Parts: sequence; C-alpha cells; structure tokens
Amino acid sequence: MTLNTILRRVAAGIVFSAVAYGGAAQAETFTLGSQVPLTGNLARVGTGMHEGISVAIAMANKELGGKHEFKVSTIDDESNPAKAVAAVEKLASEGVVALTGGYGSNIIGPASEAAAKSDLVYITSGGVAPELTHRDLDTFFRINNSEGYGKAMLGLLKDMGVKKVSVIYSNKEATDAMAKYVEEGLKEAGVEVTTHEFDASTTDFKSIMNKVKLRDRSDAIAMIGYENDYVGILRAASVLKPEAKAIVGVWSLATSQMNTEFHDLVQNVYGTSLLPYPVKFSGDEAVEFSATYKEMFGKEPDYLGQFGYVQTRLLIDAVVAAADKGEVSGKTVAQELRSLKADTLIGDVAFDENGDNPNFSHRMGQHQGDRVEIVWPEKAATAKMNFPAVPW
Amino acid sequence: MFELTLQAVYSGLLAGGWYAMVALGLALVFGTMRIINLAHGELVLLAAYVAFEMERSFGLNPIAAIPVALVVVGLTALLVYFLIGRIRHDRELNSLILTFGIAIVLTNVILMTWSADIRSTSVGWFMDGAVIADTLFSMNSEVLFFGAGVALVGGTYWWLNHTWHGRALRAVSSNRNAAMLMGVNPARVEAMSFVVSAVLATVSGVALYTASVVFPALGHGLTIKAFVITVLAGLGSVPGVLLGAVILGVGETMTATFAKPSLQELTGMVIFLLILFLRPSGLFGRKVVGK
Repeated sequence: MTLNTILRRVAAGIVFSAVAYGGAAQAETFTLGSQVPLTGNLARVGTGMHEGISVAIAMANKELGGKHEFKVSTIDDESNPAKAVAAVEKLASEGVVALTGGYGSNIIGPASEAAAKSDLVYITSGGVAPELTHRDLDTFFRINNSEGYGKAMLGLLKDMGVKKVSVIYSNKEATDAMAKYVEEGLKEAGVEVTTHEFDASTTDFKSIMNKVKLRDRSDAIAMIGYENDYVGILRAASVLKPEAKAIVGVWSLATSQMNTEFHDLVQNVYGTSLLPYPVKFSGDEAVEFSATYKEMFGKEPDYLGQFGYVQTRLLIDAVVAAADKGEVSGKTVAQELRSLKADTLIGDVAFDENGDNPNFSHRMGQHQGDRVEIVWPEKAATAKMNFPAVPW
Repeated sequence: MFELTLQAVYSGLLAGGWYAMVALGLALVFGTMRIINLAHGELVLLAAYVAFEMERSFGLNPIAAIPVALVVVGLTALLVYFLIGRIRHDRELNSLILTFGIAIVLTNVILMTWSADIRSTSVGWFMDGAVIADTLFSMNSEVLFFGAGVALVGGTYWWLNHTWHGRALRAVSSNRNAAMLMGVNPARVEAMSFVVSAVLATVSGVALYTASVVFPALGHGLTIKAFVITVLAGLGSVPGVLLGAVILGVGETMTATFAKPSLQELTGMVIFLLILFLRPSGLFGRKVVGK
C-alpha cells in the first residue's frame, strides 16, 4: 500500500465520519431560536411567553424520548425592533432551525422579515395586527389575531344590549387596529361609539374619563391597552364614577395576577380569557402542561404561558414531521405547519395561506370576587355575568 | 365645558407638583456640577420599588417606607456621584455616557429583583377619591404628594437662599474656583447636591408608587420629563422648575381634554422646543454673555 493510498483512505474515512456524524446530529438535535422581550416595556409579556416556550421544549423532549431532542437559544430583544432584527440574524447565523417568540406587532414585523430572508419559519402569538399576515411571507405564522379578540369583545357588548360605548385605546399598532375593528363592528350593530386614543406613556386618565363621564355618557367603556393602562383607566373611573353599566377590556386583564394584585379595582370588569381562575385544566396535554409549568416556575400557568407553549409545540411537531421526511428547511417546516390541523390548549389551530389562524376565537371572563369566571359565549360560560356592574 | 376645563387645570396642577419634585433633583445636580444625571429617573423608580418591597414583606405603609427608601436611594446616588468623580477628562460629556450606563444597570437590577410585573400600592386610602365641590376629582395620594411636592420645592428654595450649605451650593454652581477661594469644599457641596436630589427622588418615587403603577422600564421616561422641565426652568431656578412643571402638567391635561389624549406627550415636546427657540436660557434663566 503506497503512502498515497493510505492518505486517500484516511481522508475518505474522515469525510465519511464527518458526514455520518453530521447526519446523525441533524436527525437528533434541533435548536429553536427565540427572540423575545425579556427587558424593556414588554418584559412582562415576553417573560410569560418565554416560560411557555420552555415548558413546550421540556414536554416535547420527554415525549420524543431521545428520538429527537430540542433546545432553545434565546436572545432578549429589549422590546426594540432594531435589536429584534439583530437577534434574528444572530440566531440564524448560529444555525437555528426555526424561530418562536416575538411580542409587539411593530417588533414582530421587521423580525419576521429578517427570519424570512434567512429562510426560517417564524411563529408567534405576540403580534395581532392585521397587516402582519398580509405581507406575502411564506414563513410567517401566528396562532392568534385581533379578530379573535375583537369578536369576543363585540359579542359580549352586543349581548349586553348597550346603546353607546366609549372606546379608550392605546396608540400602539395592535391596539389601534383592534380599536378600529371594534368601532366598526359596533357601528354596524347600530351602537353609538366614541373613541379616545391615548399615548402609550399616559399614566393619568382622569381627563379622558371626565370626557366619558360628562360628554359621552356611555353605557359601557371598552379599554384596549395593556395592564398598566387598565389600572390607570380603572383608577380614574373609580374616582370620577361615570354612569357606565360595564367596563370591558381585552388581553392581560381577566387574569389571576390582576385578580390578586388589583382585587378591588378589577371587580366586575371583563377581559378576554381562555380559562376560568382558579384554573381547571382538562385533557391529558393540558394537565401535563399545568403540572410541568408549576414544577418549572412554581406558579399557576397564565395565558401568556399557554400561548407560548402552543406556538412552540406546533413548531416542534412541524420540525419533527419535516425531519422524518428527510429535510428540515424553512420551506419544509412551513409546509408541515400549513398542513396541520391541531386541537390545542387555545382551541383549534389551522393556518391559512397567509399564516394566520382563522379558527382563533376568544372567550370573555369577568372578575367575580376571588374568581375569574367565563361569561361569554354562553355555551362556554362557567357563571352568569354580573350586569350591570362596575368596580365602584 | 367649564367643568372639563376646571378638571383639566386641576389635574394638570396636581401632576405639575409631582413633576416639580422629580425635576428639581435633576436640576440641582445640573446646576451644581453641570451634569445631566440620566439615571435620575431610575433613582425615582428605585424608591418606588423599595416602598413596594416594604409593603409586600413587612406590610409597611408606603409613607412609613420613606426612610428606608431614602437610605437605599441616597447610597445609590452617592455611588453615582463617586463614579462621576472618577471621570478625569471631559466630565460633562463622559458623565452623560456614564449615567446612561448606570440607568441601564439600575433598570436591569430592578427587573431582576422585582420582575417585570406592574406594581402599585394596595393601601386603599391612597386611591380613594378626594372630591372638591363635586367638580374637582383626584385621588388622595395626588393631593397629598402635590402638597409634599410644593413643600419640598419651597423648602429647597429656602434652603438654597437662607442656609450656609445652600449658599455654598449656589456659589459652586456660579463659580467653582471662586467658591473654593471662599473656603467652600466643592466636592462636599457636589455630594450634598446628590443627597438632596436623592431625597427629592425618594419622595417622588413613593408618590409614584401610590398614585400610579410602576414597572422597570419607567425610569427613562421620567428622566426625559425632568430634563424638559429643567430646560424650561432655566439653569438653577427653583421657582422656574415649579412653573415649568405646572406648565407641562396643565399643557398635557388640556391637550388630553380638548384635543387628542395621544398628543399630550407631543405637547410637552412642543413647549420644550418653543422655549428653546424663544428663550434658550429658559423661563427664569439668565442670559449668558460671551466674553
């Protein structure tokens, strides 16, 4: 055997080993990227979503039993669109197979475009603005949308039979879109609507509430904002006491945390809610999710964790399906996501050609004492709504 | 219309009293050291979180938590002062970068210690309505801390004009070298300005905790508001700070009432730019004559 032949065989051996090792690694271990706000204005919601993502990874690894393993590489986008794009680019350079996370439509927009440029699927539950699914991005998916929240809020207000509604909303992209949806829906139903747009940094709502009290004289007040906005609006309302029969909000309001921390302030207030509180999970997956969540974070799961979990489980299922067919790429993972129809913790999920989930619809909960009861739709209700009723 | 106007002016006045407390701390340090402490908003926020922690852990009323908050915020302010003192070159510019960095560190310390959840007092009295003549509405906490704000601003004004330490601070602000020749220790006076600034930050932080909600990202916005008022006031003017704060507060509430609430932050910036354009030295500032 000549030296040349030996060298050729050694080289062939190295190449074979590298290919074999590389192939095995690709088949077994997948790293998902997660760009979420863990600091900045959206830190609270980003942290909640990230907890759900971590639960999904833990449960999937247990379920897959070593056949495949999933990891998550997380970068804090600091609630900043530019940093979110940089985070996505960095995660792409690290070789993640897909992305789960994102909060805030104005952040998710550019971040998901950066993901598309790197041929990576981007799945989220943190951006509900309608524009996000009208960009011809084949790799963008979301499990919820403003219509789902809007339908629930509209449905409740229509069932109450109110004649005049004041809509108080934050000027952020998602809340603005949601407010317009609600305004149009109410007007179509013959309800008189007045709107009050506020800046996201507003803390004193007495000027707005005084207009609602003296000028609008509405039957109901609809709040579209975030936790700190709700507390400010409700405090102003408690001081000025407008003659409203109901106060209705959307996300982040009918939660266990708001019930505990702002108990008196939120009594009889409505908000979107998938489950009552104290939460009662039924079904194997839901019970396991709840147990894993409590084990990992020492607290009851909230809706942010649920959404983060669902989006990540769907992504994991799609990556596994693509891997089993032999190729994991943005195109194949997107194909798998488009073909799935899943019954999840947030209801049925099936994606349309734009990556949206048209099945998404929410329920409305109401703070009643120490509980959050589901009061709309009637078929899902756990208690009758207290109406008319306000916190003061 | 009349009721709306009255309420807008009243709410703006109450907000102005609180803004003045926040801004005066920044203005004092700016006046003495020519330094914009970009971590001032975070000091206010730190006081709010200490009050929260005292209430959560020991059931302490936020007012009773003020001494503890003062110690924590005072020590943090002195640490900021110590770090600024390490700057040897181009202090005015480099201190901006340094205090901006400290602000980021403080925000993250608050985030890691108390999480990103929103916090506010659970003592009901602070949120109860204080109604005047069935027309003017506010929360008890707003009235209480408006009074505290005006008293502190007035007290600071008196202290600056009628005590040796106050006069020493003004002397350093006016001419550092001349003050040294008169036996004033500028380092001690500068440290004192940070301590007085910490007292103001502490009371305004506790006020914030009782009247509103706090979360870790809030500090930056407070610093900007304080900076706007400092510029409106003019360098070293305590009455200017109070007037600037009230103008800003009333401007915001009038905009929210008679235009769009979403424009109220813009109103503050428009007032800021107008003053910069028409009176660059501020409402009460003296014109600097070039040599």
